[in-house]
Amino acid sequence: MVTNVEVKPKHQYRGLTQWGRIFRNLGMILPAAIFALLIFTAIFANFLAPFPYDETSLTERRQPPAWVEGGSTKHFLGTDTLGRDILSRAIYGARISLSVSLLAIAITASIGTTLGIVAGYMGGRIDAFIMRVTDIAMAFPGLLLAILIAVSLGPGFFTVIFALSILGWSGYARIIRGEALRIRNSDYVAQAQIIGVSPWRIMLRHIFPNILNILIIGITLSVGTMILAESAMSYLGIGIPPPMPSWGSMVSDGRNDLDRAWWISTFPGICIGLVVLSGNFLGDWIRDKMDPRLRQM
Amino acid sequence: MREIILQVEDLRTSFFTRRGEVKAVDGVSFYVREGETFGIVGESGCGKTVTGLSLLRLLPEPAGRIVGGKIILEGTNLMELSKKAMRAYRGKMISMILQDPMTSLNPVYPIGDQIAESVRLHQNLADEHMVEQEVISALRLLRIPSPEMILRQYPFQLSGGMRQRVVGAIAMSCHPRVLIADEPTTALDATIQAQYMALFKDVQQKTNVAIIFITHDFGVIANMCHRVGVMYAGKIIETAPTREIFNAPRHPYTSALINSVPRLDRKDDRLYSIEGQPPSLMNLPPGCRFAPRCTVAQEICREQEPPEVDIGNGHSVSCWKVK
Repeated sequence: MVTNVEVKPKHQYRGLTQWGRIFRNLGMILPAAIFALLIFTAIFANFLAPFPYDETSLTERRQPPAWVEGGSTKHFLGTDTLGRDILSRAIYGARISLSVSLLAIAITASIGTTLGIVAGYMGGRIDAFIMRVTDIAMAFPGLLLAILIAVSLGPGFFTVIFALSILGWSGYARIIRGEALRIRNSDYVAQAQIIGVSPWRIMLRHIFPNILNILIIGITLSVGTMILAESAMSYLGIGIPPPMPSWGSMVSDGRNDLDRAWWISTFPGICIGLVVLSGNFLGDWIRDKMDPRLRQM
Repeated sequence: MREIILQVEDLRTSFFTRRGEVKAVDGVSFYVREGETFGIVGESGCGKTVTGLSLLRLLPEPAGRIVGGKIILEGTNLMELSKKAMRAYRGKMISMILQDPMTSLNPVYPIGDQIAESVRLHQNLADEHMVEQEVISALRLLRIPSPEMILRQYPFQLSGGMRQRVVGAIAMSCHPRVLIADEPTTALDATIQAQYMALFKDVQQKTNVAIIFITHDFGVIANMCHRVGVMYAGKIIETAPTREIFNAPRHPYTSALINSVPRLDRKDDRLYSIEGQPPSLMNLPPGCRFAPRCTVAQEICREQEPPEVDIGNGHSVSCWKVK
């Protein structure tokens, strides 16, 4: 005998239709989509960009976007003062923004996590020393140091990463240290000590996995900050050197032409805003999902 | 008589705070024999747990420090070992079970991994298969049903009683000679408590482990322990075989404590309680530390500390009233 058994979906939001559910999660879906698009364009920039990023054309300088009078579909987002295609440069710019921020985050998160765990677990003088250094790093004017580094090392891809990393670890160190301190006093760490596990192993095997959620939240939330910081450096001319396009330097390129060619600065600016905003939304969403105290549904 | 495995002599542990030295353990001496259970009983804050942690040299540094005494485990004074050598003793020779089973397992690993961690550290086993066999036998020892399945489960999948057994399995996995149990039954409900105590006796019979049982519950003492030390304000004030402690307590504090236990065979209007508060461990009274609350205290009790008097039959008391 066959009967129709209605199978209820496992996770059902109370009283919401499917569309309602999608709408409710739009705050997550949209930023995630933008991020996916960013990663996709960064990887496949070579194939997506209609023109090379450094191809100048003196006859096509300051062409407006396609939908503005005088624009053509050849350069969909227009051209800059040197006649370079803005769409292509924005696409390549995604690659720079993403690689710089991801590398800088990898470095800062590793340093910050290591120092935070050691400080939190060891306590005493080691903790005091690490936290004072962290305080100094936090109090230091970041942009000033970045300028100093860029001037002394000369601008370049790795200079930017170095400048972003040298102070960026302090936030991680502080958050992780607090969390490590909490876990250090937990019974399961005491239990590990009781069976004779060495301090380094306790930090690696027992404390690190338990701070991972905090770390992941920290990382996602800092993607936006890092992209913004990279853009700021490039805008000031101490970031990625030309002709490599970075969104920050593109905004900077167009700042003298704002009255007659607004599109040169506007489109890379929109890119920065959109990506940073998505990063923050995504970070918030992940935090809500990973923090059991906030997860109520 | 069975062999003495652990001998503690004049153990002193202090916490150094900004306001001064807190003498949490102030000259504690006792011993445990092979296969024997020694109970340490006392009210909250009397230094029971700190005594247990001191035996493992696991005090919260740098505030807590052992300032004197000897801990002799099978002829080795643990106080003289290097940090590294002490680590090799922990888990292998002397182990401990903590109070709360809900929090003493790491939430991110299956319980098999947590037992295996101890096995890998202390037993030089050639391959992972042998490690797993050891883990399973540790789970069997604590009578955990279907160990092959349980070892792949995470702590949150197990009940409180089962988790406490797992904690026991971790502690016993490398066959330690001494096991310190710090109120292991407090967080469990009465039925599970009784089960757990029966289990402990069974484990002791199989392994001949010496158990130091820390508790504030006289019922648990009566059920579990061969001998008992009554602790007050950082000191063991009376030591005796369990039967003697109940039938012929000599120290006024011990009898007061036993009197405060609610009983089913007597109909009391009010539960007996000891007047006053335990002294601050930062400035102890000059004489007997129980004197301010003692109903039979004399002049001498307030001036001089009473010496420990052996009154025979393994019974010793620190009280001026006992001659």
